[in-house]
Amino acid sequence: MLTLRGRRFDAEATLIMAIVNRTPDSFYDKGATWDDQPAFDRVRRVVAEGADIVDIGGIKAAPGEEVDAAEEIRRVVAFVAAVRAEFPDLIISVDTWRAEVAREVCRAGADLLNDAWGGYDPGLAEVAAEYGAALVCTHVGGVAPRTRPHRVGYDDVVREAIDATVALAERAVLVGVDPHSVLIDPAHDFGKNTWHSLELTRRLDEMTATTWPVLVSLSNKDFVGETLDLSVGERLTGTLAATAICAWHGAQVYRVHEVAQTRQVLDMVASIRGVRSPARTVRGLG
Amino acid sequence: MIIGAAVCPHPPVLLRELAGQHDTAAPLRRACTSALTALLKLRPEVIVVVGGAATSGVHHGGRIPVREFGGAQPDRLGEPALPLSLGVGRRLLDETGAAPAVELIAVEWEAASAQIERLAQQLAARPERIGLLVMGDGSARRGSRAPGYVDERAIELDKRIGAALATGDAAFLSRVEPHLATELLVAGRAAFAVLGSAVTASGASVHAETHYADDPLGVMYFVVVWVCAFS
Repeated sequence: MLTLRGRRFDAEATLIMAIVNRTPDSFYDKGATWDDQPAFDRVRRVVAEGADIVDIGGIKAAPGEEVDAAEEIRRVVAFVAAVRAEFPDLIISVDTWRAEVAREVCRAGADLLNDAWGGYDPGLAEVAAEYGAALVCTHVGGVAPRTRPHRVGYDDVVREAIDATVALAERAVLVGVDPHSVLIDPAHDFGKNTWHSLELTRRLDEMTATTWPVLVSLSNKDFVGETLDLSVGERLTGTLAATAICAWHGAQVYRVHEVAQTRQVLDMVASIRGVRSPARTVRGLG
Repeated sequence: MIIGAAVCPHPPVLLRELAGQHDTAAPLRRACTSALTALLKLRPEVIVVVGGAATSGVHHGGRIPVREFGGAQPDRLGEPALPLSLGVGRRLLDETGAAPAVELIAVEWEAASAQIERLAQQLAARPERIGLLVMGDGSARRGSRAPGYVDERAIELDKRIGAALATGDAAFLSRVEPHLATELLVAGRAAFAVLGSAVTASGASVHAETHYADDPLGVMYFVVVWVCAFS
């Protein structure tokens, strides 16, 4: 059972979280939604395409120009408030590792805090608890925000990702976050090389077996690019293949750039698993 | 007696299982093999592999650390893994097909000069013909696409280390400041310092030859051979 913005989702429901970057330099869209108008257009489009959640981020994950908390707040808070006003029912997530930013976005109407850097600021969980927000707990192998993996090794990357995220999830519940509003995310490519991300995908069933709802963020990432030797703009097919495997293993939330294509994959896999009725079945049945 | 040394980097991608179909590291691996071949031509009785690690100590065997970094291997872990630097060194030696006696010595990344000096003196005082295999890299902070992003001091330090390796400047290698090396993600500082101090202690003169010096993946790699002569 997963509860987001007061709505309950059973374990078989799959949710799409659409990425909306308020950055001038993110790897995939390269600033396409940096300005307000294109950002709003993107929110409207992904909602029309069936996104359940939007994930608004003010800082790109890769190293680059320093963005302090004040600038991050400037980039996301007013936008969150505006999206809240236009879409009262939409689940709004904000991608931040900073508790002070989290506080401001919760006040502006955010429902979910996507702590993509693995609990770097322990105060984030307390903010989620204080505002009744949900929380994503990720595994990054102990690296600082916005650092690339460099010769990171694990005895067992899946075991370590499970142990780290479950520990963060249990701590979040301990400080008062609703236990039905905590998700875990192995964080593909964060503190991991391509081999690690492939193994996490292959063994994602071990993570879903914890019964914490699992979020995966696969979209156009480098592990797809390295596996198929494709540049950023050519990774959709590989992303969708990884999406199908994660869906087969029972992941519940998918953080994506391409909403419509992801929804088709998730529906198809759900029907193959036998948990979703096909849309229309007349062939041989007439 | 230290008769010579080969310096090689230790990125995981030198382990063939980790390099994927395209094997981007092939030219670097070939350079390492050529440096080791040159070292083995000096007829060492023992190869002492020296590499940076989380803790100092002598390793008697151990698994090559492939599994930790990926690869499509079975899930069994087996025996404990060597530190990355020694594991890559061990593998490079295995790939030459030669079978001299091999010793594996890990040196703590930020080992102080007293510890380095002690080890160097011990190596220099031994009577056998010793070939050193010194495992270490330059900075991983050489540019915006480098693993450690940019630190403007990195290029200069790499330049000085590269020049010292290329000219047999043992004294410089002993002097690189440990904390600066850590900040700049220079994984070779401790091993290079052992090389510098050991050769200085032996009183040898050095003929150096660089086989490779480049940063194709944002990390500076040096492959160098030192041949020691005693007057």
